[in-house]
Amino acid sequence: MSYDWSLLGPLILLVAAAWMHGKSGPGWCRWIAVLVAANFLAVSYIVLHGVFAGSWRAIFIAVTNLIALTSSWDSIYWLREHPSVSPGRYYIWWSLFWGSLIVISLSRNLALSWLAMEFSTLTSAALIIEIGDRHSLEAAWKYIVIASVGLILGLIGIVFVYASLRYQGLSWAALDFSNLHAQYFNIAPPVRELATIFVVSGFGTKAGLVPFHTWLPDAHSEAPSPVSGLLSGILLGLSVFTIARFTIAVPTGSGALFSGPRLLTIFGTVSVVIGALALLAQHDIKRLLAYSSIEQIGIIAVAVGVGTRAAIAAALAQFVFHAVIKSSLFYGAGHLTARYGTKSIDGITDLITKSRSSAFLWTLGILALAGLPPLGLAYSEWLIMSQLWIHHSYVVVLLTSSALTLTFAALSRHLIRNLWGPAQLQDRRTPSSNQAPAQGVL
Amino acid sequence: MNVIDLLFFIAALGLLSVRNVYLSIGLVAIEGLLISVMVSSSGPLSWVSGLVALSTLAIKAGLIPAVLSRLIIALPAEGLKDQPLPLWAYAAAVLAIFGTDHIIHLLAPSHLIQNEPAFFFALSTVYLGLVMIVARRHLLSQIAALVSVENGLVLLAVSMSGSLPTFVELGILVDLVVAVTLLVWTGHQIHREFKTTDIVVLQRLKG
Repeated sequence: MSYDWSLLGPLILLVAAAWMHGKSGPGWCRWIAVLVAANFLAVSYIVLHGVFAGSWRAIFIAVTNLIALTSSWDSIYWLREHPSVSPGRYYIWWSLFWGSLIVISLSRNLALSWLAMEFSTLTSAALIIEIGDRHSLEAAWKYIVIASVGLILGLIGIVFVYASLRYQGLSWAALDFSNLHAQYFNIAPPVRELATIFVVSGFGTKAGLVPFHTWLPDAHSEAPSPVSGLLSGILLGLSVFTIARFTIAVPTGSGALFSGPRLLTIFGTVSVVIGALALLAQHDIKRLLAYSSIEQIGIIAVAVGVGTRAAIAAALAQFVFHAVIKSSLFYGAGHLTARYGTKSIDGITDLITKSRSSAFLWTLGILALAGLPPLGLAYSEWLIMSQLWIHHSYVVVLLTSSALTLTFAALSRHLIRNLWGPAQLQDRRTPSSNQAPAQGVL
Repeated sequence: MNVIDLLFFIAALGLLSVRNVYLSIGLVAIEGLLISVMVSSSGPLSWVSGLVALSTLAIKAGLIPAVLSRLIIALPAEGLKDQPLPLWAYAAAVLAIFGTDHIIHLLAPSHLIQNEPAFFFALSTVYLGLVMIVARRHLLSQIAALVSVENGLVLLAVSMSGSLPTFVELGILVDLVVAVTLLVWTGHQIHREFKTTDIVVLQRLKG
């Protein structure tokens, strides 16, 4: 059965959300989560074979639907904690955002990926605007303007490639990744190099690669937590893999100064280092996770930059593990924020006394993110490091492994403060009422 | 040199230099009108190219200026004027135009550019729009700059390949309408919350 069926879920949800608009209650949110769960089961059946065969599209669709499922369940609790947000409008934008992620996952065409990427910016920005406070408005404005400018740069690259292949008369199909790979030698080398610079910078902005990342900590920290999970866990990774699909389809040649792999390695390494350093200085729990996403996406970009089959497989593993761990942590951070009434790491303390189960799950998530063996990211990061070593990228190994050590230290320091730090702020709710949401999601 | 391309470039220069936001909206509408003429005359007229040209006209010369006007209706008189352009922005604009010339030289051997003057005006418009986004401080100026950059991109495609695939052109138009609507909606809320249209107030979060 065609993978395109996976678009049906977001479409049905969009219709349901539009219908429930104005007459929403808590029961509706649960029904929507059940709908997303049913969709996940159906889609998993369709893509299962592809996932085991290593198909990129199958893996992207499966992971996107898995995180959409957890995000939809977390939305029930998040909406309960934020009664000022209209559930009807929330679910309309959420379904459109989910749909755009599915289109990016499904896409075999560079232009379609671009359109879906731009649409994902707008729909996720609308979800940030829904919160409506000063910080979220500022974050949404910067997000739309910076991400759109970045994507416009990417579109310039796409126009260059399309113009080079206009003689084919294929119109839309000229930008299929398969056609690009079959015809890349008909694109003049300087055009390929220029297009690669534009595409890497443009889609790199959406991926949050340093130095194009400035919108990311603001948008990811101000978005509703279930949306932060999708943004960090899915969208960033899909953006890097879209760059990868382009650079694999349109290689620039070994002599090129700005080849795709080289640019990805440079931007990826800088992202890992800057992301790790920024972790040390964070005071906001969601910004901490956002900067960690920059660091993690940097590792994926470095792996994609190596470009071998093993390195790409490691990058895919890193994408999957990061999606699961980071989205769970964002959900947890959202509930901790609501429970303590602050986003400050210094304010979210003494977790071990207040809720042992939350403390256990938060610790597990942070340690997994820090790369503690035998948890998933430790495995994929080790694979990426070994690929870098085999390909004699010693400087990159030195920089990224130092940054990963720093990441472990920074995350452990923040975790210790969360668990055993002296209680500074009063818990906003009574223990009996606050257990359910935090435990349900964590 | 095509007169319409030149007029388009003059409109982009005007957009960068004017401070009155009513004039900015007028220039956005003029750019939209010129772009729709270019799209319709870029190839043989068919019902598809006619549809794209009509959609471009309706959205860029009609809908978007109308939506932008909705933002400034609510503004007091002092909110209708942007701050003067900083000196560095003029220098950046000149550099951007010289940079375009360099790219034309770089691409010349590839015979990629079909219409060199149009390419020059198009890429210069994109760069001028980017300078405007960084240098201008009024909410509406930033939205206008984003629309202008997108217009420049359409002309860029016309100068290199005649046009973009229809699906891409229509998709970009839809994205643009959603983006402008969201930005105007956000702009309204920012003005209500911060009591200003100056984006300098948006620096509580540090990227």
